[in-house]
Amino acid sequence: MVKEMKMPLLLGALALVASPVLAQQKPIPADSVRTIVLQEVAVVTKRHDHQQHLQNFYNANQAATTEELMSRMPELSFIRRGSYGMEPTIRAYSGGQVSVTLDGMRIQGACTDKMDPATIYIEPLNLQRIEVQTTGASSMQGAAIGGSLDMKLAEADFADERKLSGSVSSGYQSAANAMMGGLRLSYAAPTWGLRASGTYRKSQNYRNGRGEKVLYSQYEKANYALSGKFLLQDDLVLKADFIADDGWKIGYPALPMDVGQANARIGSVSLVRDNSERRWSRVEARLYANRIAHYMDDSARPDLPIRMDMPGLSRTSGMYIEGTTAPGHQQQLTVRADASASYLTASMTMYQEGQTPMYMLTWPDNRQLQSGIAAQYSFQVSDKTQLQLNSRVNMSDFAVTTGEGRNQLSVFGYESTARQFLIPSVSLQASRMVYKKLKASLSGGFNGRTPTASELYGFYLFSQFDGFDYVGNPNLKPEKSVQGEFTLSWQEPRLRLQTTAYASRVQDYIVGAYNPELSAMTIGARGVKIYYNTPYALLAGAEASAVYNITGYTQLVSTLRYSYGSNADGEPLPMMPPLRNITSLRKYFGDYLWVQGETELAAAQNRNSESFREQPTEAFMLWHLRAGYQKETEKKVWQLNAGIENIFDVHYREHLDWGRIARPGRNVFVQLSVGF
Amino acid sequence: MKKYTWLTLWVLSLITVFSTGCDKDDDTPTPTFAYQKIAEGEAAGTDIKIEIYSNEELTTGYNPIYIALFDASGKRIEQAAISFQPMMDMGMKQHASPIENPSSGQAVDGYFPGAVVFTMPSGEMGSWTLGVQVQVNGETGTFTTPVTIKEPTTSRLKSFVSKTDGAKYFVAYLQPQQPKVGVNDLEVAVYKAIGMMDFPAVTNLTLALEPEMPTMDHGSPNNVNPTHTSSGHYKGKVNFTMTGLWHLHLTLSDASGEAGELHFEVNF
Repeated sequence: MVKEMKMPLLLGALALVASPVLAQQKPIPADSVRTIVLQEVAVVTKRHDHQQHLQNFYNANQAATTEELMSRMPELSFIRRGSYGMEPTIRAYSGGQVSVTLDGMRIQGACTDKMDPATIYIEPLNLQRIEVQTTGASSMQGAAIGGSLDMKLAEADFADERKLSGSVSSGYQSAANAMMGGLRLSYAAPTWGLRASGTYRKSQNYRNGRGEKVLYSQYEKANYALSGKFLLQDDLVLKADFIADDGWKIGYPALPMDVGQANARIGSVSLVRDNSERRWSRVEARLYANRIAHYMDDSARPDLPIRMDMPGLSRTSGMYIEGTTAPGHQQQLTVRADASASYLTASMTMYQEGQTPMYMLTWPDNRQLQSGIAAQYSFQVSDKTQLQLNSRVNMSDFAVTTGEGRNQLSVFGYESTARQFLIPSVSLQASRMVYKKLKASLSGGFNGRTPTASELYGFYLFSQFDGFDYVGNPNLKPEKSVQGEFTLSWQEPRLRLQTTAYASRVQDYIVGAYNPELSAMTIGARGVKIYYNTPYALLAGAEASAVYNITGYTQLVSTLRYSYGSNADGEPLPMMPPLRNITSLRKYFGDYLWVQGETELAAAQNRNSESFREQPTEAFMLWHLRAGYQKETEKKVWQLNAGIENIFDVHYREHLDWGRIARPGRNVFVQLSVGF
Repeated sequence: MKKYTWLTLWVLSLITVFSTGCDKDDDTPTPTFAYQKIAEGEAAGTDIKIEIYSNEELTTGYNPIYIALFDASGKRIEQAAISFQPMMDMGMKQHASPIENPSSGQAVDGYFPGAVVFTMPSGEMGSWTLGVQVQVNGETGTFTTPVTIKEPTTSRLKSFVSKTDGAKYFVAYLQPQQPKVGVNDLEVAVYKAIGMMDFPAVTNLTLALEPEMPTMDHGSPNNVNPTHTSSGHYKGKVNFTMTGLWHLHLTLSDASGEAGELHFEVNF
């Protein structure tokens, strides 16, 4: 027992010492976590509690992809370059500023153009839930200034009686003439369980609100997942997971290239001990590895001045160990230690007839070692007051691993490419019931993030967004952020209101600066930008949500969000989502049928970044209609979901969509599933 | 023992992950010279045997030449003064070419290194001979041999008529011989034609370098203009950001202004 406690201290520098008092465990919820539960949602629609409805609201289109589901969360927006492979942003923080993990595992995208965030390699069918944490609480997952997004994998189950269960589902969406099929099989035994699932999607070029086909917006993918769970001792479980995801011909209308192939292999083995009798009531250790191969090509595009291939490869292996204990009455401490090693390489080859191919490394072979120690301490001070302290110390080590890579970077005079970063983060959140059912939470803290491989070592990475080639800078300082967040929530059985305001000041904010002395590599590029640290940037915003059960069978859900960003010169930051509201009204007709009307409203965004040549975006309003019907027979559960999205065929685009490419027009979807 | 399980697992895992992370160091090894014999013979009027070597086939442009000398007993001679006499016989007229005689009278590892810049290939226009004059212990003699000069696939010698003094200049490409993506040493040598027989090295020029990728219409950053080092050699740095066909544009100026410009092709 004593050894277990020494473990994190042995490895790291965290000065949180657990007190030896044993106490009854009690989970303490945090206000800064938002969760979408995906599994078994529809099967339990008879329960009409708010939380359940919020989940239904998120999951209203059952054929939806992971990113479509997440785009309905108020904190999340997506930078869209194509109809698939969108990059999640949390409160306008993007890229390396947010930590995107799969069940705590790090996955590095293998695409230099950010076309493959980790979210695209996961299907809703193999997800249990998605957790989005803003600011401070995210330090358990990694060093990030913008929060974390963790996708929890669905698990196999145990059952006292051996049982085979499963589901088959199929769906169709009209705008892109897209079909999907999914299959899940689970086998549960008293001491072991297996779960296998597969999803296939094929989508054609979609039609926008003017009835025009958007070329190069098609995609095709298959995802297979297998997980097993074995009971080793009464309280000790061994889990193994494997996911394979293959995508083909994924089109990116906003980019000059598409993805010919993207393959991800993700595997892990973990041990979980869950026993409230022990001092460490829950301990989880996991070993994982993943490999992503990503091939960009432009073979589908006509009339290009030059043909090119851009393959990328990322390999990550790592582990984490996490333990939860109750150091005292009404206290909970979770300690986590994690480490990972990632290897990245990407190259570009251009072909011109009769000439030697032009080849260069766009990501000179590089690796990132990172390890961190994090702790989350919650204390229910009184019936009304709760405190939560989050902290993390993160160490990382970046290096270019081959002479070839170093030679390339020496072109820019970068002699030393190895970098070490030590990033501490601390945040404190205090919540108190201030008046009747009104709860106020105030949190504040500081954190930081390391530059990304592209920012450190990128070699002429063309960004279609502003038309510049980007070159990395190994001398970057990490971004450091000071932030505060204030939440007010009102909760009663029929009504839950929550509003949050946040602000942060990011010091050494990393952006590309135009260097007129450099000539662009990409044909048609406007110049070269080199990453550097600007003095600071300010990001602020607010979110609000309401869940109102008007009657037991009628429910209103509404979310609102706004983000504001400006750099040190007072200029707006690019890629800031405008004011946005989604409101849906759902009515149940009996226990088996529901109909949901929905409006999606976005204000115009006229605070556009001139230096990124960003264009203003017009306001739009969309109407959606969704319905679900469920029939339970003795052994089967049939579910039919159907609806019309963008009923009035509005021609629109969102502010975070690149290349002024319009979104899909009217879309009729239907999905049928049967579970047994 | 159970207490140690987690700890052991954690430590083992750490070792696994971090031990797989060895950096590769693939810096190219220094190339080894292969001496290739071009000709051998006796210096006329002496009993000194001359062997002529190069690194590869002789081509238009700058060719390092190595001379090995042996006395009558076959013993290597380490001390000698050597001069090259290349000659192009075009029937109606003859001309020589720029040379770099071995700078020291002392052999290096048994060889006297020098260079000859052949200004055209052998062919119907005419044929080349290479004379090697040696002076050993007061004895002087010359060995002359016909040599075949080929035109390389990529031109390694350029010429221009100076806008400032009207003379013909030759610019030979020396480095990089094995170009790589990254920073490369650049070396060229410049000679001036004074009549048909005299081609002195030019030491007073200012060179401006501009690499260009013609198919992509872009250059590369942070190049260093070649500056004179010795014997008409100019050294600088050229940066390649990718493989492929590059043009190295050189603008040559003397005290009175721009004398001429030219470019070398590098294709790798």
